[in-house]
Amino acid sequence: MRVTAFTQLITVLAVTALVFILPVQLVSFVLVVELVLLLYIRHDRMTMAAIGALAVFTGMMILLQLLFRSPLETALAGGLRMLVMTMAFLCLLAATKIQDIAQALVERFRLPCEYAFMLTTALRFVPDFLADSAVTLDAQSCRGYSNRGNVFKRMYSYLVVIKPLVMRAVAKSDTLALSMELKGFGANTYKNMKKQELGTGDYLMLTIVFLLSTYKFWVKYI
Amino acid sequence: MKNKAVEFKNFYYAYNGDELALKNINFGIREGSFTVLLGPSGAGKTTLCKAMAGIIPYYYGGRYAGSVEVLGEDTKGRRVSDIAMKLGLMLEDYESQLVSLTAGEEVSFSLLNHGFPPEEVAERTRKALEDVGLPGRENYQMDELSGGQRQRLLLASVLAVRPRVIVLDEPVSAMDPEGAVSLYKLLYKLYQKYGMTVVVVEHNLDFVLPYITDMIVLQDGQIKAAGCFEEAAEKAYADRELRHLLPALWQVRLELEQREGIRLGSWRNIGEAISELKEKFGRVGL
Repeated sequence: MRVTAFTQLITVLAVTALVFILPVQLVSFVLVVELVLLLYIRHDRMTMAAIGALAVFTGMMILLQLLFRSPLETALAGGLRMLVMTMAFLCLLAATKIQDIAQALVERFRLPCEYAFMLTTALRFVPDFLADSAVTLDAQSCRGYSNRGNVFKRMYSYLVVIKPLVMRAVAKSDTLALSMELKGFGANTYKNMKKQELGTGDYLMLTIVFLLSTYKFWVKYI
Repeated sequence: MKNKAVEFKNFYYAYNGDELALKNINFGIREGSFTVLLGPSGAGKTTLCKAMAGIIPYYYGGRYAGSVEVLGEDTKGRRVSDIAMKLGLMLEDYESQLVSLTAGEEVSFSLLNHGFPPEEVAERTRKALEDVGLPGRENYQMDELSGGQRQRLLLASVLAVRPRVIVLDEPVSAMDPEGAVSLYKLLYKLYQKYGMTVVVVEHNLDFVLPYITDMIVLQDGQIKAAGCFEEAAEKAYADRELRHLLPALWQVRLELEQREGIRLGSWRNIGEAISELKEKFGRVGL
């Protein structure tokens, strides 16, 4: 059963709200569901690395809260909530093509197409940008750039790599803009794409989300 | 006589706050020709290409006079993307002209923007990818394609709207000679298949020598010669600065004609040259 990007977006947004509404036990249940889901969708090294990074980040959050004298319980709950929220976005990114997300944002959420296009274009140029940065790093190393010294010194000397990189990106963006002009980019771009129709899976999912979001109201009557 | 695919009439252009980049441009490109735009660096070749596509002056601003007509219609006041339906332009830096994440989306991008129905978009995308030798690669990510493949993908995205004129600005400047030869072979095949008009800016004419029908020579923003290749080449050869831009084979041919006072055939490859020289001078020494 396939679920469209629209439903997934709604679900993720709902989850970010739900972590504050639901009791901690349910939130941890959501976390388990998310983990299983994520590993079911994708289990490559990238996903593992992302989960690891999130876990480390959560640990830091908890430590920070403890440092500021929060009770242990609050700190753990806070960390858990953040982990569930971010993991939900991770699931979304793993399950859906960014193009579909962009389309859903324009179609259903009325996001201006320029911003939606920014999402996909940014992703498109990441590999190019990385390749460029490797070349620039090599070129500047030939001219005496080195990353020795303390953190501040290193950050300062890294500027010689950043500057040409940014200039190059700006120069490229001019060609990109021209190309988009030639190809007639505009409001029509997303309008003419194949519509994402909601199916049974979507309605089912949206119902579940609705029931969970209104949990506080109907739990009294059971 | 045949119609003009592109026609410049008394065209002048200057970028914002700059001197004139193009001066008194008057020429026409025959429909159905394979035209090469030749000239030293900074002669205004790219500017001329952009003027054909209507990007100049629409996108860059600046001052201009005169008119540019594409297939009999003035580019003035028309949207760049509408002109692009008739005249496809491929700029030099092909990497940053690809805007989508997958090959299929890239080709269908301009089709969707012009409101073609989804079935036709899919069909045209398939056809265009097939034409450039990337069949069935709709779902390939950009980083799964090599440099040469990306360039052919860009060509496919320009071809998908089926323009009658296609303008390429130094398409092979970042390619190895082998890739350059094969790209031009592909381009010539498409040129013959669809009967398009092709305009190419190229520094190394050796690659395109077998295919050229017309040539335009540009120097310091002015047209030095325009018309059929043979005549334009002779005119260019008369100028010391432009001489070395001609194909090596033609430099030999024109030099021989001058020294020996003879007329030689219109050589398009080394084989033709050798056989004619053998005929005229007996055995070619080796």
